[in-house]
Amino acid sequence: MSKSILRVENLYKKFKDTEVLKGLSITVEEGEVVVIIGPSGTGKSTLLRCINRLTEPDAGDIYLGDKKIETGRSNLSKVRQQIGMVFQDFNLFNHLTSLQNVAIGPVKVKKMDKKKALKSAMKELERVGMADKAQNYPAELSGGQKQRVAIARALAMDPKIMLFDEPTSALDPELIGEVLEVMKNLAMAGMTMMVVSHEMGFAREAADRIVFLEDGVVAEMGSPEKIFNNPEKSGLGSLSAK
Amino acid sequence: MGISDKAYKVLSSIPYLLSGVGITLEITVIALMLGTAIGLFLALGRVYGNGVVRRFVIFYSRIIRSLPLLVILFMLYFLGSEIIDIPAFWAVILALAIHTSAYQSEIFRGAIQSISMGQMEAALALGMSKYQGIFAVILPQSLRRAIPYWANEATIVLKDSALAYVLGITELMRRGEYVSARTSQPLLTYIVVGLIYLILTYAFTKSMARVESRARIPGLER
Repeated sequence: MSKSILRVENLYKKFKDTEVLKGLSITVEEGEVVVIIGPSGTGKSTLLRCINRLTEPDAGDIYLGDKKIETGRSNLSKVRQQIGMVFQDFNLFNHLTSLQNVAIGPVKVKKMDKKKALKSAMKELERVGMADKAQNYPAELSGGQKQRVAIARALAMDPKIMLFDEPTSALDPELIGEVLEVMKNLAMAGMTMMVVSHEMGFAREAADRIVFLEDGVVAEMGSPEKIFNNPEKSGLGSLSAK
Repeated sequence: MGISDKAYKVLSSIPYLLSGVGITLEITVIALMLGTAIGLFLALGRVYGNGVVRRFVIFYSRIIRSLPLLVILFMLYFLGSEIIDIPAFWAVILALAIHTSAYQSEIFRGAIQSISMGQMEAALALGMSKYQGIFAVILPQSLRRAIPYWANEATIVLKDSALAYVLGITELMRRGEYVSARTSQPLLTYIVVGLIYLILTYAFTKSMARVESRARIPGLER
């Protein structure tokens, strides 16, 4: 059995009167690609945001490796450095070029020498096929290009795990492919990934495990074959038809 | 005495009027620097501070914006005669700085809040502290957006500096008054004074437009 890199235990989160997560538990192994699917409003994004504490959970424990993630400030920065996050809306820093966007994390957070950071930022951009747009600003890029830069920005911190929060949901259909391609390459390179997505093709192809969330808990999980071909839950029946 | 004689008397005073521009600019620049620093600080407190800080800023901004500048000026000046002595020059600067700081705090607050929440979240997700997020991500973007509004406020400070004349400071406006009395040509004198303010304001507005376009982020619509 390989080592677990992320362990979520009994996670609860309520917004006002709406209970979103109701005792959710999940473990991710090193090098594993976990795709999280499920109806909207079922807590998929909330789960990811609780992991790096952009959202404060009400109850439950989260472990990165064997370290418990707590809210104490200095600890939190260390934890977040090890968790790459890719947002639905990209959230690239608009005043910085692609290259600067990728370099700013290592420079500000890891206090890396600026020249060195820019050099390795260029490598990350090459990795996502965006080297030729290194000097362009986010507003000059297409959605797919923005998301690839955002992935490079997260990778630049050399994270142990990458969280993808609906990375293709804000994209025009013809731009989805290039982003999924980058993600597939990452998966093949052995990156540990947790992906919230509606892209069933990607899930089928790249996932080691699919987790079906429903009603704030894990309703079902298993290999893509099992989830798509022999679902135990009726709710999944509609998915296999897609 | 013909029209040209009257005009000559006023026009020959122009060098005298212009020598007041230095003091006008001095008052304006110092008041602006102070007011901008205070205003920015207040805006950060308003957006990122805790409940007490936030309430204080709202209170300060509301009170100051409700008072005529002249009232603030007199309060500061007469505070001088009763408690500590504030020279007229500094009373004017402080009054202008306090007055504009309240307006600028609103300008900067709006600019900061116009940057999407996702920008800070992305900064935090990289491991940045909130302060790093503010200074490396939020402010560089919001200050750019604030430029035209700040420039407008700055021209108001420039024009408001004319109030310094009530405390006897011989800046542009005060000198205008002297010339008007000496020449008995108030209309013509104040037209000239007005033109000088207009030229100053125009030059400043033009140069700020340059700053704004140079600071523009490529590709970003405004």
